[in-house]
Amino acid sequence: MIEVKGVTKTYGKKQNAFIALDDINFVIPDGASVAIVGKSGSGKSTLMHAMSGLDRPEKGQVVIDGIDILKLRQKAVDRFRSEKIGFIFQSFFVQANESSYDNVALPLEIGNLSGRARKKRVIEALQVVGIEEKEKQKARNLSGGQKQRLAIARAIVNRPKIIFADEPTGNLDSTTGATIEKLLFGLNKKSGSTLVIVTHDEDLAAKCDMRIYIKDGKIDQIVSEVK
Amino acid sequence: MKTVDIIRRAGRSLKHAKARTILTSLAIAVGAFTLTIALAAGEGARQYANTLLTSNIDPQVLAIAKDKSFFEGGKTGPQEYSADSSTIARGNGVLVKRLSQSDIDAIAKRSDIVSVTPTYAINAQYITRVGQKKYTVDATTYDSGVTQTVIAGSLPSLRTSIADDQIALPEAYVSLLGFNNAKDAIGQTVTIHLERTPNVTESQIQQAIAENSPQAIASLATKQTKDAEYKIVAIVGKSATALTATTNAQISNTSAKALSDFTTTGTDNYQQYTIATASVKAGVDPATVKQALVNEGYGVQTAKDLQSLLFTIVNTLQGIVIGFGILALITSVFGIINTQYISVLERTREIGLMKALGMRGRHVSRLFQFEAAWIGFLGGVIGSIVAVIAGLSLNPWITSTLSLGDGNVLLIFQPIPIILLIIVLMLIAMLAGYFPARKAAKLDPIEALRTE
Ligand SMILES: Nc1ncnc2c1ncn2[C@@H]1O[C@H](COP(=O)(O)OP(=O)(O)O)[C@@H](O)[C@H]1O
Ligand SMILES: [Mg+2]
Repeated sequence: MIEVKGVTKTYGKKQNAFIALDDINFVIPDGASVAIVGKSGSGKSTLMHAMSGLDRPEKGQVVIDGIDILKLRQKAVDRFRSEKIGFIFQSFFVQANESSYDNVALPLEIGNLSGRARKKRVIEALQVVGIEEKEKQKARNLSGGQKQRLAIARAIVNRPKIIFADEPTGNLDSTTGATIEKLLFGLNKKSGSTLVIVTHDEDLAAKCDMRIYIKDGKIDQIVSEVK
Repeated sequence: MKTVDIIRRAGRSLKHAKARTILTSLAIAVGAFTLTIALAAGEGARQYANTLLTSNIDPQVLAIAKDKSFFEGGKTGPQEYSADSSTIARGNGVLVKRLSQSDIDAIAKRSDIVSVTPTYAINAQYITRVGQKKYTVDATTYDSGVTQTVIAGSLPSLRTSIADDQIALPEAYVSLLGFNNAKDAIGQTVTIHLERTPNVTESQIQQAIAENSPQAIASLATKQTKDAEYKIVAIVGKSATALTATTNAQISNTSAKALSDFTTTGTDNYQQYTIATASVKAGVDPATVKQALVNEGYGVQTAKDLQSLLFTIVNTLQGIVIGFGILALITSVFGIINTQYISVLERTREIGLMKALGMRGRHVSRLFQFEAAWIGFLGGVIGSIVAVIAGLSLNPWITSTLSLGDGNVLLIFQPIPIILLIIVLMLIAMLAGYFPARKAAKLDPIEALRTE
């Protein structure tokens, strides 16, 4: 369960202050697929950063499994991200010079998993996203869709509780986007991990159990189909 | 994150920027090259100096002068005039005091001294043998504390002198004195001719005048001569590791003293010696004897003193070369800082990603420091390998050019100093990588991952 309570984020100081998030409150049940929907600049990414422990808004709480991650020390927040969170970004952010294998191995290296277990998990993750035959290829030589599959493999390899995907199909053509969407929802159903998708795409949002609409840093509307 | 994983990632990053990595490490390689050569040359020079000393100088030998100023180059500048003949001027107005026969006798009496040999001034006119021409010659005391290269005949073992009627000649005299070869010369007799200007006392003149004998007066005015005959005991050759020039004819201490006394009789130089060598009894530490003599006012140097003097010279020269190496390293440090800053800028996204995935700041920092260490390692290995290859292939040429003698090399490469050098270079590189690495560690992942 993710509880967001009164989260407020302000950029800049005094006259220049800009409120990017204004008293955000909602609860996401475990295993749900959630869309954070809004126009560009509405504060979706900022909210995702706050929920995933990348950013520290000055007010509010983000309680995950009973722990307010905004109150954790830096070291604990880093460990929390490493163990519980998977990230997928619009521009993939794969390490172009590294092989597919080494890209996927990175979260496990950070999480101190080594040896045979690491190898097994990396291969499994590559199989899940269907690019196991690209294991030794450098990421720079993959197509856009393959890069995003690689990013997904990297996001799921440490078996996270929550996967955050920021505009995961934004840089892909519609067919490739559709397969990536299918992959993400399939993983969400199968592994029981929570999927949080940041998007401005209504069609993608419609496929989620829960939709949180953001407008100018405020919650506009929450639609939930979760039983 | 485990250190091995960080080191592996650091290595891969460098591999992906090959040109930059190699160029940066070449700067370090220049420093490593210079330092490796400096270390090898220092070691080689020290070992060579040691070889020279141990093969030439008996460790029990002391060099003794009247006072310590002799070993400091003598007293310079104007000195108070003294009619005392014990002070002698050396070139450039440098004054040194001389040892007298009583000094020599006193030192010889000591129970811890086996023998004392002053350096005798022998002004021999020429050397010759029956039926041959006359040739100039420098006669010196046979040094029983030095090993010499014997071409023919034989010399006694260390610390034993040749007999009073024997002479050891340098190779050059073999043909000059009409021998077919060195072997033929052994056992043959040669003559050393000495002259001295007449040295007449007042009473001798008065006596000659009183006798009113023109013959007696004439004899007073004629030069006095002495012909000393010796049997050739050995022909000695030039040795690469010999410190003493073997261009002298060598005779025993007693013979040398006799010749010296003959030529200096009646002069200020009679039984005055600038320096003497003494042999310390076996089993007695030369340093303690030195101290005792120094307390009596003498200037004394042991074989060890000479060694440390040589080593000081070697170390100073080595220090200068090391200085240049360090200068090259300082330059390369800026190269590393620059390269690593550029690397951090280029890889902002990657750093942001790693931090977003939960990598600790200090691990990110370590990643960049290990990259720098790899650069240092590479530079160190390239520099030292090139130095070793160049040094080993140049060694024969250096040996022959400097005529160091077979088996002696100037550049001696030792593995441990080279390994230590590479480790030090890695540490220096890591230090240089510190600031760029800290910048990387402090990057905010959100800023780093922002897409326009
Ligand atoms: N570092 C920052 N400094 C100032 N303003 C920022 C900063 N980051 C984001 N913003 C502003 O906050 C608002 C929300 O940004 P963001 O969450 O990225 O929007 P979205 O992801 O919905 O497009 C935008 O108006 C943006 O300009
Ligand atoms: Mg955004």
